Amino acid sequence: MMPYDAVKSILVLIALLASFGVFGWRCYLALQGLRRGQSTPAFGGWGERIKGLIVYVAAQLRLFRFKAPGIAHFFVFWGFLTLSLTILQAILEGLLAYTNPHFVLPLIGNFGPLALLQDLFILCVALAILYDLYLRLIVNPERYKGSHKSQGLMVLMFIFTIMLTLAVTNGIRINLNDDLLQRYRPVSTLIGGLFAGLNPATQTIIEETAYWIHLGVVLLFLTELPEGKHFHIVTSIPAILLRNLEPRGRLPAAPEFEGQVGVKQVEQFRWRQMLDFYTCTECGRCQDMCPAFASGEPLSPKLLMMSLRDHLKDYSSASLPTRSLIGDAVAPSTLWACTTCYACDQECPLFIERIPLIVDMRRYLVNEGEVDALLQKTLANLGRYGNSFGQSERMRAKWTQPIQPVIKDARKEAVEYLWFVGDYASYHVMFSDITRKTAQVFQKADLDFGILYDAERNAGNDIRRVGEEGLFESLAEKNSAAMDKCKYNTIITTDPHTYNTLKNEYPANGNHHAVLHYTELLDQLIASGKLQFNKKLGYKVTYHDPCYLGRYNGIYDAPRRVIRALGCELIEMPRHGDRAFCCGAGGGKIWMEEQPEVKERPAESRVREAAGMSGISTLVTTCPKDLVMFRDAVKTAGLEGKIVVKDLIELVSEALELCKETVREQM
Amino acid sequence: MNIVALFKLVPDLVEELEIDGNGTALNMDFLRLIINEFDDHAIEQAILLKERGGAQVSILGPDIEGVEDVLYTAASKGADRLIKLTGDFQGKANNHAMARAVTSALKELQPDLILTGVQANTDLDGSLGPLLAEYLDMPYVGYVSGVKVADGKVITRKEYPGGLVAEMEIKLPAVLGIQAAEQPPRYIAVAKVRQAMKTATIEVRTLAESDLSGGSTIRRMFKPEAGTRAEMIEGSAEEVTTRLLDIFKEIGVL
Repeated sequence: MMPYDAVKSILVLIALLASFGVFGWRCYLALQGLRRGQSTPAFGGWGERIKGLIVYVAAQLRLFRFKAPGIAHFFVFWGFLTLSLTILQAILEGLLAYTNPHFVLPLIGNFGPLALLQDLFILCVALAILYDLYLRLIVNPERYKGSHKSQGLMVLMFIFTIMLTLAVTNGIRINLNDDLLQRYRPVSTLIGGLFAGLNPATQTIIEETAYWIHLGVVLLFLTELPEGKHFHIVTSIPAILLRNLEPRGRLPAAPEFEGQVGVKQVEQFRWRQMLDFYTCTECGRCQDMCPAFASGEPLSPKLLMMSLRDHLKDYSSASLPTRSLIGDAVAPSTLWACTTCYACDQECPLFIERIPLIVDMRRYLVNEGEVDALLQKTLANLGRYGNSFGQSERMRAKWTQPIQPVIKDARKEAVEYLWFVGDYASYHVMFSDITRKTAQVFQKADLDFGILYDAERNAGNDIRRVGEEGLFESLAEKNSAAMDKCKYNTIITTDPHTYNTLKNEYPANGNHHAVLHYTELLDQLIASGKLQFNKKLGYKVTYHDPCYLGRYNGIYDAPRRVIRALGCELIEMPRHGDRAFCCGAGGGKIWMEEQPEVKERPAESRVREAAGMSGISTLVTTCPKDLVMFRDAVKTAGLEGKIVVKDLIELVSEALELCKETVREQM
Repeated sequence: MNIVALFKLVPDLVEELEIDGNGTALNMDFLRLIINEFDDHAIEQAILLKERGGAQVSILGPDIEGVEDVLYTAASKGADRLIKLTGDFQGKANNHAMARAVTSALKELQPDLILTGVQANTDLDGSLGPLLAEYLDMPYVGYVSGVKVADGKVITRKEYPGGLVAEMEIKLPAVLGIQAAEQPPRYIAVAKVRQAMKTATIEVRTLAESDLSGGSTIRRMFKPEAGTRAEMIEGSAEEVTTRLLDIFKEIGVL
C-alpha cells in the first residue's frame, strides 16, 4: 500500500490543480465582460499611480475614514500578506510530504522574527474577524442593507477557520517538539496547550486534520474569490493603480456610437469602468454618505454598482441579452436622483467613480428626449436664453443698475479681474442684493474688475452633469468666445459650480486663465492687507462646504480663514469638510421635479443639523444655490428664528459697514 | 399620407414689448421671435401621426429670423421635408394675407392633412386655420387635442368648456387647428439639432405677393391703461341693494 505521505502529496497536487483551475476559469468568466468594454485612454503619471498603491493599498488610508472597521481591515489585509507565506509553506510541505518530509521555506522559513510576526497576526486577524462578525450580525449598520450578507459571513468564517487551523497545526507541532522556531510562536503555543494532555498519536491526527481543513478552506476560498465582493482582493490593485488622475471636476467627454450619445448598453462603458463593477466590496460607505439615499430617493450608489456588475455578468454570459441596461438593470429614476455631490466617490476606499457612469447614462436619456417636464422646460430656457430662469439675457446685468460707480464692461476695457457672475447670482431675486454687496466689497478693496454683461451665459457645469453635452458645448463656446475678446488676467466666480467648470472643463476650449472663487480672492485680499475690517462681528457661526468648492476643488481653508478674519467664531457641524452634506441642488437636481419618495429633503436635513448646534445663529454658505435651498428649507422645516442662512459676502459687507448703502434684503 | 404642419413665429413675451413710433404696431427692433406654442403642438401631432401610422411630414414656416432652428428641430423629431417661405412679410399680423399667400405652396404639396396651431398671440384678424380651409376648399375643425387616422378620414378629439369631449369624423383632405398634441412636444437635445443642421436640407418656396384685403386695420396699439378704480359697496345686503339701485338710476339703466 502507498505510504500516507505519498498519498498526501498526490492529493495536495490534485487539490491545487483543481482549485486553481476553477479559480482561473471563474476569473475568465467574470472578466470576459471587460473584453467587450470600450477602450480607455492611455494611463500616464505612473509615479503618482505607484504612490497610490503605497498610500491606499499598503497603508489603507481611505479605509480609516470609518475607524474601527478600517483598523479591522488593516489587520486582515496585512495578516493576509504576512500569512500568505504560511499558506505557501502549507502548500509546499504538502506537495513535498513524500520527497522532503521536513520542508521549510528557504531563508524566511527559519527566520524567528517573521515567525513571531506571523504568530501575532494570527491573533490580530482572528480578533478583527470577531469584530467584523459583531459588526455584521449585531450592529448590522444600514450601509450593509442590500449587500450579500451570507457571502460576507462565509468569507469571515473562512478566514477565521484558516487562522484557527493554522494555530492548531503550529501548536501541536510545538507540543511534539517539531518546530525549531517554537519560542517565536506564543499564540500557537497557547493554542497547542489545549491539546498537550492528549497522547502524541492523537495529537498527530488532530494536527493532520487541521492541516487538511486549513489547506481545504484556503483553496475553497480561492475558488470563491471571483464570485463576489471578495474579488476585490484581486481587482483592487489594478483598480487603484489605474484610478482616474484627472481633476475630479472634469467629466470625461460623452461617448458617441453612430449618432447615439451616451451609454445605452453595458458594453458601451469603458473596460476600466467595468473593472470598478467587480471591485465594489459592497461596504456601503458610499450609500452612507449619499444625500439622495438619505432623503429616500431610489438611489444607492452601492446597489447601483451591484446591479451594473450583475447586469454585465448576465450580458456577457447570455447569447441573447433580454434585459436592458436602462430600465431593467438601472431605473431612470435612480439616475435622476443623483446630485453629483461626490460624497460617494470621496468615500470609496477603492476609488470607484459612480458619477461618470450615471452621467453617461443620463446623456443617453437626454439625447433621446427622456427628461421630466420641468427639466425639459429649463433646458429649453437654457438653450434659448442662456439662463435657467427663462429670462431675457438683456436682463442679466439688471442687478448692477443702482451700483455706483458703474461696473466696468470687460468687453470694452481691459480689467485685472473678469467676474463671471453666474445665473443664480444674476437673476435670482433672493440673491441680487447679495451680488450687489459683492460688487461693493470688490470696489471697497479697489479691485480692478469688470463683467461680461449680457454676453455671459450659464457656464454649463450642471447642464453637463444633467447629460446635455451638446448644450454644454454650445454655451461653453459662446462664453469662451465672449471671454476671448476681453483683456483680463484672472477670472472670479460667485458660484462654485461655475468655478468648477471654468477651472476644470473650459481649458478644453482654450481658456487657460487662472480662476478664483470669490472666497479665495477675499482670502488673498485680507492676507495682503487690501481688505481690512472696521469691526469684529463676534458671531458664533457654522459653515457649509459647497460640494463643488470643497470635495471637487479642495477649497476648505480659504472661506474658513475669511470667517475668522471677520471676528466670527466658527463651530463645525458634525458633517463638514469633505463629508459636508449636499444641499440637494447639484447636478441639475434643482431643475427637476421632486420625487414623491422623498422623506426628508437634503437641505432640510442640513439646516436641522446646523440649527441643532447650541449657540449657533448663522449658517454661512458660499454658493448661491445653497443659500436659496437652505433659506427655503429653514421655512419648510419651521426653523425660522432659530437659524439664519447667510452668504459669506453678507458678513464681509457687514464687517466693512457697507450694508447701510444697500437695499435691505427681505428675510 | 401627406401631412403638412404650418407654423408662425410670434413675439417672445420674455422681452418687454414696445409700441413703434406710429403707435400702430410693435417695435420690431427689440423683438425676438419664437415659435407659436400651438404650432409647436401641431408639429408634434404630425410627428406622432407619422410614428403611429407612417406618413410624409412636411414643415412649413416663414423665412424670418429663427425659422431654421424650428425646421432643424422638426427634422430631428422626424419631419421629412423642411420648407421656408420667402417673400414679403409686411402683413405679418394679417392672417388673411398669410392664408392667401401660402395657398399655392400648400397645394403643390398635395396634403391629405394640414395641421396648424389653433391660435397665436398675433391673431388680430381671426385664426389662420379656418382661412386656410376656405382658400383650399377643405373642411376645418379647431381646438383639436387628439387625432386618429382611419382610411381616407380622421377622427378628431375636441374639448369643450365644461368637460365635454366630442369626437368628429372628417373626410380628408382637411385642415385642423391644434390646441394640444396628444403628448407635450418632446425635448430635442442640442447634439441632435446640430446633427440635423449637417444632414437635413431646407427647401425654399417663394410666396405670392401679399394681398392685405380682408384683414383688420390697426388704428391704435397701446399698453393696458389703468382705468378709474372700482367702487366697493359695503354694508348689509339691503344697503348694498339700495345703493346699487341708486347707481343704476344715476347712469340711466333703470
